[in-house]
Amino acid sequence: MKFAYFAGCSAQSTCKELNASTRKVAEKLGLELLEYRSATCTGSREIRAVKPYLFLALNARMLAMAERDKLPLMTICNTCTLNFLDVIEMLEEDLNAREKVNNSLAEEGLEYRGTAVVKHFLWVLLEDIGEEKLRSMVTHPLTGLDIGAFYGCHITRPPAHYGFFDSRNNRAIERLNGILGCKSIDYSGRTECCGFHTAASEETVAIKLVGKHLKDAIDHGAAAIVTPCPLCHTVLDAFQSDMEKDLKTRLRVPIIHLPQLVGLALGLSPEELQMDRHMVPFNRKTLRRSVPIKEKRRDRKIDPAL
Amino acid sequence: MSSIALASKEKRNERTDLPVRRRDARRIGQVENHDTLAAKLNNLKDGDTISVRVKRFDSSRDAEAHFESFAVPYSKWMRVLDVLIYISDELESDLSYRWYCGSKMCGTCAMRVNGREVLACWAAAEPEMTIEPLRNVPVVRDLTVDRQPYEQLVLSLTPWLERGSPYPGFPEPFTHKEMKLASKALDCISCLACYSACPVVGLGDVTNFAGPAPLVQVGQMALDRRDSMDRARDLIERAGIFSCVSCYRCEEVCPAEIPIVSGVIEPLKALAYKRLPEELPHQNAFLKIIRRRGRIDPSELVMRAQGLLLLRSLGRAIRLLLRGKIDPIRTLFGRPIQDMGHIRRMFHFFK
Repeated sequence: MKFAYFAGCSAQSTCKELNASTRKVAEKLGLELLEYRSATCTGSREIRAVKPYLFLALNARMLAMAERDKLPLMTICNTCTLNFLDVIEMLEEDLNAREKVNNSLAEEGLEYRGTAVVKHFLWVLLEDIGEEKLRSMVTHPLTGLDIGAFYGCHITRPPAHYGFFDSRNNRAIERLNGILGCKSIDYSGRTECCGFHTAASEETVAIKLVGKHLKDAIDHGAAAIVTPCPLCHTVLDAFQSDMEKDLKTRLRVPIIHLPQLVGLALGLSPEELQMDRHMVPFNRKTLRRSVPIKEKRRDRKIDPAL
Repeated sequence: MSSIALASKEKRNERTDLPVRRRDARRIGQVENHDTLAAKLNNLKDGDTISVRVKRFDSSRDAEAHFESFAVPYSKWMRVLDVLIYISDELESDLSYRWYCGSKMCGTCAMRVNGREVLACWAAAEPEMTIEPLRNVPVVRDLTVDRQPYEQLVLSLTPWLERGSPYPGFPEPFTHKEMKLASKALDCISCLACYSACPVVGLGDVTNFAGPAPLVQVGQMALDRRDSMDRARDLIERAGIFSCVSCYRCEEVCPAEIPIVSGVIEPLKALAYKRLPEELPHQNAFLKIIRRRGRIDPSELVMRAQGLLLLRSLGRAIRLLLRGKIDPIRTLFGRPIQDMGHIRRMFHFFK
């Protein structure tokens, strides 16, 4: 199975481990990824709002590259995914805009025709690889690991794209958790917002929005939180110590990327998945703490044979 | 499609262990959680008992709100509003809630049912319901909220249109395209469902974000071609429009199905940026970085957006550096992506 692969800015800067682990996991799963070295940013929420045509053109360019190579485009970031989906819809609706955009792409020999297919890695796992095949590939079921899902907004809202009356009803990650053998924790913040899109200028918003949800997830027994979006990861992981200060309570819950969770179940080690690059590291200790253990002393040296 | 046909289709899909088909993964959970009207209607039949918990509070008497439980017999096509009417007719005449038209027009009966904002007159009753008043507005009694703070906020944002040119007489020549955004915003019934769902409004004084509902009211005028008022400063300073986190909670709950984020707030942001680009360091920095590198470098974005204020979070920056999460060498000397010349011409093309 071959995909055009769009990593996005975050997975190539702040969350390099996401890019690395996606590649490793894709290899294990037999996915061939074609990455475009000239891929730009999709415009996040900023260009999208203030320069609508530039936003259309930047996205159409990458969609046209995938169309040219006749490949579905795989994303690993919620916001990029929604931007692509929105641009596909906007250029479907407004043929004048499509013409204008195509004029700017012509110089590079590209044309957007409206046939591009965009899929988040989560959907690739469940649709293209398929539940049965994925289940058969799990060599290290994550039994005993209690995982809370943090969906992020743009993979479950707006309803126009995803069709949910109530976005809290999304169970895609829980379904995946089941395949990987871990238990899913239900808590209030599953589909809430991480506040990333104003965090560069107003980080207090993000800190106040997310802290209470992490607390709730921990109270419900989550040993770690999994997220399909590097933007959510950045807020949940890098701002966690600020949330602790804000709530005056200890959180220290590891936040893991979706491909990393899949990788663990496929037998890759936390080190191979670069899980030690997180601010709140997920290591063998976390894996072990979550399964029932006999010895009481937690600070004991970890058996390297584990 | 009739709701009966929908319901039977729903029933066929009721099994949740079916393999996920192509293009289905983004909707997993919809069937098992009865996330459609047809499924909700299927959940109850005549003679069933609905258990309802209503949040009760009287601002003139109670210090704290409490929940009261009621058992209501279900009859076919029962809405949340019918449940409330039954309670006040038969069980608790004291219950306070507001409604007028009963048909999704007046926007007075918005409330929270099981944690989601709905219009009581338009939402189907569910087997178990927790009914609460809207958030982010003061509660007067039970499910009745005080709309005054919202109305004052709207008034402060000049919710009227100022013509720059004289009235050309009726009919005014408009194209659908010109009125597309404003006419969507004009569908707003001011029910405040979005205002209650907005997480940023919920943070109170942390930001000065006006919230989705007031911005839709402004959008009705500001996105109309006839309006010539300069609203940029009001939008940035008074309405705090750039504090919107784009979470789409408002779009999700809007009973009028207004694309609040993409069809109102973002066009208003564009309007503000066009007039006062120099006052928006975050947006400028973003454009500048993409123009130079093609991709975002988060450290540069934060540095440009926050300037010297960044020193407040020096501790975090050092911790991020230690984990390799930020890369100063790349920020300073990193090379742009391939084909940058083309991207720059694209910027010029869409200036």
